[in-house]
Amino acid sequence: MKDSYEQRVQNQFGGFCTRVLKNEAARIHNEYARQRDREKSLGDLTTSELSLVATSDKYFEDEHVFEVLGKPVVVTGNLLAEAIARLPEDKRDVVLLSYFLGMSDQEISEHLNVVRQTISKRRAKTLKELREYLEKEGFEWPEI
Amino acid sequence: MARNMKALPLPVILAAMEGDGEALAAVLVHYKGYIRYLAMRPLKDEYGNEYLCVDEDMRLRLEAKLIHSIVTGFRILPA
Repeated sequence: MKDSYEQRVQNQFGGFCTRVLKNEAARIHNEYARQRDREKSLGDLTTSELSLVATSDKYFEDEHVFEVLGKPVVVTGNLLAEAIARLPEDKRDVVLLSYFLGMSDQEISEHLNVVRQTISKRRAKTLKELREYLEKEGFEWPEI
Repeated sequence: MARNMKALPLPVILAAMEGDGEALAAVLVHYKGYIRYLAMRPLKDEYGNEYLCVDEDMRLRLEAKLIHSIVTGFRILPA
């Protein structure tokens, strides 16, 4: 037979290629069917299912605004804000002005019309009170 | 696969087995029709009409699989 070797290889090659393509096509069809059966459109989810995969932003949730000398001051953290809210106004002003607005004792004393030493004494006392209150309430120091 | 198609010449087959780019391209051209036929999937448009359409993704996967198999899997059987 003429070119029998060539013909034999051609037949083998043709069969091989056809088989490979056919099998792969069946595999891909299976895959598509599987995906179709298991996949669910977002629109078809019930509310409770949706809430399992959903997430909501938490911005501003634990921010509290205090007012000092007519200026708003934002305090982040529920426990800290509560502790500050419990302070009497004169002590609260000192804490907010020095730690949240970054004023020096000299500046604070000028704004509040009291002697500078009063400010530093008041602040030291207030800090101690704050610390006691926070530790009693189970405040955890943030990791640095 | 159409029976009346002319088979690929032996040198092309041998070169394709070695991974020769031109030969593999020739093989792909040879099987283009069959691959398109296999990759045909019914597709619905927004009015609910069904069409037969070539799934490009599937077509490319079939081509890649064929090339891979020819280079790694095809061996000429002894007589």
